[in-house]
Amino acid sequence: MFSYYLTLGVRSLRRNPVLTALMVLTLAIGVAASVSTLTILHMMSGDPIAHKSTRLFAPVLDNRPVNDHDAPGERMDNQLSYIDVGNLLKSGQGVRRTGMYGIALVLEPPEKSIAPFWTEGMAPTRDFFAMFDVPFLHGQAWSEADDTRGADVVVLSRKMAAKLYGDANPVGRQLRLLDAPFTVVGVIDTWTPQPRYYSLQSGNKFGVSEDLFIPFATAIRHETGHNGGMSCSTRTDGGFQGILRSECTWLQFWFETGSSADRAQLQTYLDNYAADQRKLGRLQRKAPNALFDVPEWLVHMKVVGKDNKLSAWLAFGFLALCLVNTIGLLLAKFSVRAAEVGIRRALGASRNDIFRQFLTESAVIGLAGGVLGLLLAFGALALLSMQSNAMAAVARMDLPMLAFTFALSVLAALLAGLLPTWRACQVTPAIQLKSQ
Amino acid sequence: MLRMSNLSKVYRTHMIETHALRGFEIAVAAGEFVTVTGPSGSGKTSFLNIAGLLEEFSGGEYILDGVNVKGLDDAARSRLRNEKLGFIFQGFNLIPDLNLFDNVDVPLRYRGFNARERRERIEDALAKVGLASRMKHYPAELSGGQQQRVAIARALAGSPRLLLADEPTGNLDTQMARGVMELLEEINAAGTTILMVTHDPELAVRTHRNVHIIDGQVSDLVRRAPSLVDSAVTA
Repeated sequence: MFSYYLTLGVRSLRRNPVLTALMVLTLAIGVAASVSTLTILHMMSGDPIAHKSTRLFAPVLDNRPVNDHDAPGERMDNQLSYIDVGNLLKSGQGVRRTGMYGIALVLEPPEKSIAPFWTEGMAPTRDFFAMFDVPFLHGQAWSEADDTRGADVVVLSRKMAAKLYGDANPVGRQLRLLDAPFTVVGVIDTWTPQPRYYSLQSGNKFGVSEDLFIPFATAIRHETGHNGGMSCSTRTDGGFQGILRSECTWLQFWFETGSSADRAQLQTYLDNYAADQRKLGRLQRKAPNALFDVPEWLVHMKVVGKDNKLSAWLAFGFLALCLVNTIGLLLAKFSVRAAEVGIRRALGASRNDIFRQFLTESAVIGLAGGVLGLLLAFGALALLSMQSNAMAAVARMDLPMLAFTFALSVLAALLAGLLPTWRACQVTPAIQLKSQ
Repeated sequence: MLRMSNLSKVYRTHMIETHALRGFEIAVAAGEFVTVTGPSGSGKTSFLNIAGLLEEFSGGEYILDGVNVKGLDDAARSRLRNEKLGFIFQGFNLIPDLNLFDNVDVPLRYRGFNARERRERIEDALAKVGLASRMKHYPAELSGGQQQRVAIARALAGSPRLLLADEPTGNLDTQMARGVMELLEEINAAGTTILMVTHDPELAVRTHRNVHIIDGQVSDLVRRAPSLVDSAVTA
């Protein structure tokens, strides 16, 4: 019977075409508004590395002075000092660990036809690539020895490699960075985790990943300035070396553990480390030492802002308004069908049959609204993408959202159709048949 | 085929009670062609609606083809209506958006027949009423008489035991009315019981029996085929 109801539903689209078009358009606008805001929210709040997100931990230590205006643990500093990063790198904790910071530097291309240009990069230790599942197109990450001695090696993004070398494999080729020749050891494939969880402190929560990567020790050796925020509670003298000796926080750190159960062990280590440092005169505030796994980190760093959530609620409010309108239009559409209901009832349709038929018609309207709503949502997302790179990174519809759009549209139409359908079922056939 | 005993129907509003039928008694035997006459407001339509399970009655008993319909739920009444009854209305009551094939198809869909059986029944029913060649036409493309023939085909397609006709010739001119009446007589001759409400005394005299209703009660019963009536009373 469902195929019969579906056929009737499709045919009914042609009946009262103006009313049908209004309903489809009303639903489509409501669905498009809510789906486009929800798509952005969905992309923002997705788990960017789901299979190991509970095994990756960002540590937070409080190295501010005792007399700092914030109470211990009240407002956390989410970056670490060079002293702490150096110690944690040597700790041997977890199965992998990486310290890193963002850099901005001038790149001198091998081809003289391309003028030197500024580019943004990252200076992590080699574990970075394995920890965050960075895929390689050519070559590989630099070696541990490169890390130790601060070798002048570089890993390029696919986009940067294409810009400098075209389609050729550039591994082994040289380019100039920081006034020194650097050897290309690898090219990573397209890698755009959203949000950019591994380096949220840089301020770019969404968008493209870095153009190049050089070893952490290399960046330090070249005294490469950081590209991002720095927090210093005390006066710092002595240039770059002074910063390295200071309690200024400007670096990020991640641990990877073998299993999420190893968290307690890592926490114990961190607490013991803080206690040891306290004996050395550091970390005097005795603030709690925090570990955040990736999902916790995204919440802690407020990746999804209150305004995003508010937008989603407003969009759903708008969808509710559209639903109310659709209910009115469906009531009008179904009320002129009272005679047909009377005839069908006389010919053997039960109230249940009528209910199913009319609800299927509502679902067909919902499907049509879903198709149009999807087109409108694509248009809205394309417009939003033009705002910024960060918005372009999240204003993308994936398959689950595509399926959700249709589900939402059909569900909305079914909800809107409940009252009109129930009213249609209450038709007294005897009265309708006599009045014809 | 049909027996009503001490049947009553009361319409209630918060101010008024109207007794449409009271102490209503009737028995119709299988194969009978019975006309129901009476002045406007006498209760003819209420009787036909109750007989067709389109309305519930207030009291008494109604047995349809051996089934006591009192207390049946909507699904059971609908199934009974679909399997045992066929309707013909004064206003034809075809669904304007469906072509003739699909109009006749409606009761068969609820019956659950498969596609092949539905097609055979539809083609057969439309052929019986002389409209086999116009299956893809829409009701608006037909004359009143032809529309009523489609309604008859629709009523016949499910092989009902009882055909209920509510002034089936009321909207037709004399010639078309005669054609429809002849068709109903053919159907009855083939074994289908017919209960027909009419205002037309000429039609009433052509059937086996005429039941006259006044003030919700059977006031007169004119028998023209005693053998049939007797068998009805004992049914």
